[in-house]
Amino acid sequence: MRGIKILERVLGTIPIMFGVAIIVFFFIRLTPGDPVDIMMGQGGSISAGELENLREEFHLNEPLHIQLWYFLRDAAQGDLGYSYVLKQPVTALIGERLPATIELALGALIFSLLVAFPIGVISAVRQNSWLDRLSMSTAFLGISMPGFWLGIILILLFSVQLHWLPVQGRIKLGTGLEQHTGYFVLDSILTGNMEALKSSLLHLVLPSVTLGAPVAAVIARVLRSSMLETLRSDYVTLARSKGVAEWWVVIKHALRNAMIPTVTVVGLQVGILLGGNMVIETVFGWPGLGRMVVKAIFDRDFPLIQGAVMIYAFTFVMANLIVDVMYTYLNPRIRLG
Amino acid sequence: MNSNTPLLEVNKINSVFPSGDKIVRAVNDVSFTLNEGEILGIVGESGCGKSTMLLSLLRLIRYPGKVESGEIRFRGDDLLQMSNSQMRAMRGKEIAMIFQDPLSTLNPAFTVGEQIRESLRLHNIVGNSNAPWPFDRVQREQEKQRVLQIMEEVGIPSPMDRYASYPHQFSGGMQQRTLIAIALACNPKLLLADEPTTALDVTIQAQIMNLMKQINQERGTAIILVTHDLGLAAEFCDRIAVMYAGRIVEQGTVDEIVETPRHPYTQGLLNCRPRIGERQQTIRPIDGNVPSLANLPNSCAFASRCSFVKDVCNEGPIPLFETEHGHLNRCLLTSDYKRLPEWDWDSIVEQERAQ
Repeated sequence: MRGIKILERVLGTIPIMFGVAIIVFFFIRLTPGDPVDIMMGQGGSISAGELENLREEFHLNEPLHIQLWYFLRDAAQGDLGYSYVLKQPVTALIGERLPATIELALGALIFSLLVAFPIGVISAVRQNSWLDRLSMSTAFLGISMPGFWLGIILILLFSVQLHWLPVQGRIKLGTGLEQHTGYFVLDSILTGNMEALKSSLLHLVLPSVTLGAPVAAVIARVLRSSMLETLRSDYVTLARSKGVAEWWVVIKHALRNAMIPTVTVVGLQVGILLGGNMVIETVFGWPGLGRMVVKAIFDRDFPLIQGAVMIYAFTFVMANLIVDVMYTYLNPRIRLG
Repeated sequence: MNSNTPLLEVNKINSVFPSGDKIVRAVNDVSFTLNEGEILGIVGESGCGKSTMLLSLLRLIRYPGKVESGEIRFRGDDLLQMSNSQMRAMRGKEIAMIFQDPLSTLNPAFTVGEQIRESLRLHNIVGNSNAPWPFDRVQREQEKQRVLQIMEEVGIPSPMDRYASYPHQFSGGMQQRTLIAIALACNPKLLLADEPTTALDVTIQAQIMNLMKQINQERGTAIILVTHDLGLAAEFCDRIAVMYAGRIVEQGTVDEIVETPRHPYTQGLLNCRPRIGERQQTIRPIDGNVPSLANLPNSCAFASRCSFVKDVCNEGPIPLFETEHGHLNRCLLTSDYKRLPEWDWDSIVEQERAQ
């Protein structure tokens, strides 16, 4: 039953993706700037005929609805077109960069969950203690600190001063890592390359912390407030009246129910982890999707932007589908609609 | 433990909640005793401290509230002196509690069977292997059988099918039966019932009260029933204590309280009750409101609402007078002035004469 519902929801993403595709298509073309002009630069050494040829090659001379038709027809077949600038298929470009972005997002997610859960729970259990005040003000700092600044500070401290962690990149040179999946951590484990594993994990630390810090802060605050609520609930009093030990009351009876609002927020934050990391990728020289997209926007590289946005949208929709499925486990009253 | 020791002996407990720079005194000098198998009713308006009193007995008042002083002797041992782990061993095992609102009291995330089974497991009622999950299959199965038996006993139909249901799939009455099953799982000696029927329909209310009566008679479980409904208490209990503003103002057998109420507040409560079959009766509410528990007068807390009030009522603390054998009353004007040892009655009489 649950399986069928999940399948229904997955199929339900098709019209969403279709809508996203159309919106992205039009909005990029609303931005001023002609891709061909930008591509050719200001040199003026190109003839009008050559420009015309390029326009024709990219179908930019056709009416918008014809261009849209081409785009949708190809996208439905899994072809997101050719990058104007990089002259490669968009799917290949994204496929090359996406693992780095996902690896970083997962690292940041794991970091933020590891930090946020203990802090959120302990702050709620010891409400108004110095620990609670300290962690909540740190969380506030975490939310309001700009990522690039935090990243630079961390680099200065841990890389430049202490030499504990690498400054940038995904892996050091000369580990001889064979790439299969594009996920360096996974590849090192698969090939049993311990040196590469160590190096890629060390490279992940600072970007993950920088990207995950504001996310951790949000999750911790939400978890704390929902824990405060569930700790005051009647069922927690019932659990205590049964003789359940206090820490088990907190973990089993209170936390389980406090997870519901928290999971919602985690799902929404996944969007930020994937889409909001252009700055972090730049600071840490991380060869991910974010930097490529920023460049594509400046180049008016329409196919590449469209493809990337569709990937972002798809991941976001999937993350929230996972959240919805988790709901039904956390709270039996909720069913997948 | 000798056989004359009462099951529960509460001696002058005070429960307080610090709130800002004030202290809310929810329970003031409450004392009573309860014998094995006895049913005591605690009656009072909302906010008079009766629920806090019950939670105090289990040491479950929410922080920063605490039981400030007094003794709670369960079979002779003072619960307030026990360590936390000793206290946990009492909760659910010896003293169990039933709450007011069954839906919010059951954990929405666990099946009802699981919630009843948790009590069994906590106190090792069935088996004692203590194998960690998932190696406890045998014990779990035995516990499940016991749970089904308990569900049957409290009147949950077809327990097999209901074991894996979630609380929200139950009706209010079934939820309350589940709570009773949780409370009964370890066969406690004392059951604390905090308005167990307030959230239920009248017909369901009768069923639940009958069930509790049956438990009392068959198992000899003593019950403390907290309720705002004097009629319900009169029908169900052996003795009744009337609470007002954190103090017990009158205590006696059901007959004494209902037939010859002494305290003006008890009389007022009785006047508030509509009686079926009498037309055109006047229901007389008690005017005014309960005084704030953060700012209680040292003297009679009911004085501001009492129609028999005299100056002397506001002049000092009023003790519980024993008017007849065992009938206690905290009122100067309706008592027989049979004084308790620590009360300096002479000076009060002088003051009264001086008027």
